[in-house]
Amino acid sequence: MVDLATKSLLHDRLRFLITVSGVAFAVTLVFVQVGLFLGLLDNASVTIEHISADLWVTSRNTPNVDFAHTFPETAVQRVRSVPGVAAADNLIVWFMTVNLPSGAQEGTLAYALSDFRRWNIPWNVESGDVDDLKRGQYLFLDGSAVKRYGPFAVGEYREILGQRMKIIGRTRDALSFTTTPISFLDFDRAQKLSPDLLKNRTTYVLVKLAPGADAAAVKAEIARRLPYNDVYTKKEWAARSRRYWVQSTGIGLNMYITVFLGCLVGIVVVAQTLYTSTMEHIKEFGTVKAIGGGNLDIYRILGKQATIAGVAGFVLGALMAFALRPAIAKIDLKLIITPVFAAIVFAGSVVMCLAAAMISFRKVASIDPALVFRA
Amino acid sequence: MRVLEAMDVTKDYEEGHERVAVLHGVSLALERGEIVALEGPSGSGKTTLLSILGCILTASSGRVVVDGEPVDPANRSRLPEIRRRSIGFVFQQFNLFPSLTAVENVEYALNVKGAKGAAARSEAERVLDAVGLSDRRDFLPRDLSGGQKQRIAIARALAGRAPILLADEPTANLDSHIGAQILEMFRSLAKKENRALFIVTHDPKVRSISDRVLQIRDGRVAAGESETVGAALAAARGRGQAPPLPMTRSSAAL
Ligand SMILES: Nc1ncnc2c1ncn2[C@@H]1O[C@H](COP(=O)(O)OP(=O)(O)O)[C@@H](O)[C@H]1O
Ligand SMILES: [Mg+2]
Repeated sequence: MVDLATKSLLHDRLRFLITVSGVAFAVTLVFVQVGLFLGLLDNASVTIEHISADLWVTSRNTPNVDFAHTFPETAVQRVRSVPGVAAADNLIVWFMTVNLPSGAQEGTLAYALSDFRRWNIPWNVESGDVDDLKRGQYLFLDGSAVKRYGPFAVGEYREILGQRMKIIGRTRDALSFTTTPISFLDFDRAQKLSPDLLKNRTTYVLVKLAPGADAAAVKAEIARRLPYNDVYTKKEWAARSRRYWVQSTGIGLNMYITVFLGCLVGIVVVAQTLYTSTMEHIKEFGTVKAIGGGNLDIYRILGKQATIAGVAGFVLGALMAFALRPAIAKIDLKLIITPVFAAIVFAGSVVMCLAAAMISFRKVASIDPALVFRA
Repeated sequence: MRVLEAMDVTKDYEEGHERVAVLHGVSLALERGEIVALEGPSGSGKTTLLSILGCILTASSGRVVVDGEPVDPANRSRLPEIRRRSIGFVFQQFNLFPSLTAVENVEYALNVKGAKGAAARSEAERVLDAVGLSDRRDFLPRDLSGGQKQRIAIARALAGRAPILLADEPTANLDSHIGAQILEMFRSLAKKENRALFIVTHDPKVRSISDRVLQIRDGRVAAGESETVGAALAAARGRGQAPPLPMTRSSAAL
């Protein structure tokens, strides 16, 4: 079979390049925008994903993991007595003021637990031993704090809520959606740092299920016993924390608009170049008809050309997005491109090109083969 | 055997609110292996008639029978099938695909007509060889001369053994002596393969290769005075003699 579609498409190199660039531009835009969005959102639930709790008990209507409210710490006893619960502990997530050596004030989001190892947090320790947190006025600080606090080293002191605390460990990848640096300290220490708000109180109860326990049943039973709290599975709680930021800030809308504009630009560029190309090849299409070809033969040519442009544009666009990754990482942003997301963009670019080809389909259907006789 | 027939064919074009009558009752017939020229001034309706015979346009009234099949103007979706099966076109503008090589141009037409793979490739090579362009098989049209392009177009029309070849001013874009050579070649190939060849033209050289010459004027076809010349010519050719009238440079040079 002679592949007229491919040969004709590649015959005009410049136009092919323009078409592919149009698709690639749209693909890169979508990858970067959605990838950044997913990266930011990932921060909103990164601690939830890593803490090895199956269920989270929160105060009523807590919107996301960062914006915690307190409830009596004794709730944990009632949770422990629910059948199917293997372990339950209090977790305080609390915003605390940090006085920097420069005199400036900053904030930290403190995660306070009695047994960090049991809950697999912090999950990426660069230096220090979390078991030492119990032994004094100590804290672990995430490396991302450098951006807000300036450089720090293990062994230095920082003043938190007016008390001198020694940094005895450094972690990585513990980020919050608001970019407030995360620190880790002992549960009792946290309560003592802010006695008027935290004495005898907690913000979460983490729950680990016994092997074989029915998560839904345990969840329902905890909810029954703690009518003034909410209970979420890990998945629900992560989704709720992410959804809060999507809905309460402009980033969700912003992303949808960019994706829409990216697709629009892509479709317009591809439709425009395909249509111009069709118009320029109209006599060839007339010839295809004159030698006995039908509209279907020509649709196949246009469809194949659009698909090639879509695939080539996707590959180029994806390469550009991956090439941008190191630069994006340099400014402490994450570009998350999952296989599912990439597959959707791939399908999207091909569909986009085929949609753009539709405009040419209509033109081609009306081609009068008699034009082959005209000069 | 009669392979193409038009009876009392008329054609009106709609132009805005007006109807312009271009053909006023044309009748003609072609036998297998017969070469017929249709001469007429520009605007006389030659291309229109050729388009109707080639099932690209349909007649406003009258009857057209192509390769045994009466053409039904109401059934337009049938026309491509008749074109695939029975018609090979040669155009004034050559109309080759610029992105395809010589052999691919021919092979693609065969693909459209339903021949695939190695069969299509070997048929394409056969006809390319017949028009003497085997050594140019991998050239793109832009690297070929006008005469070579038209020979490829002829090869494309011959490929697939359609019984009817229709040519619209095939020599109009060629130098006179190149045109003469190509007409000679076209004639011998059509004769050898027993195809009916219908050439519409206002190039007088076409007469010298035709068995019969028709004249069209203002949408009416008549057997022109030159028909006798053409017939004499054909008779002479049939007897294996040189043409009695040296009408082209190439024949004059013989
Ligand atoms: N599609 C069309 N619509 C209207 N008029 C046409 C069309 N095609 C041809 N004509 C007219 O029909 C007449 C015959 O045209 P044509 O068949 O091309 O003649 P020729 O090939 O002998 O030069 C001309 O007057 C031309 O203007
Ligand atoms: Mg004409």
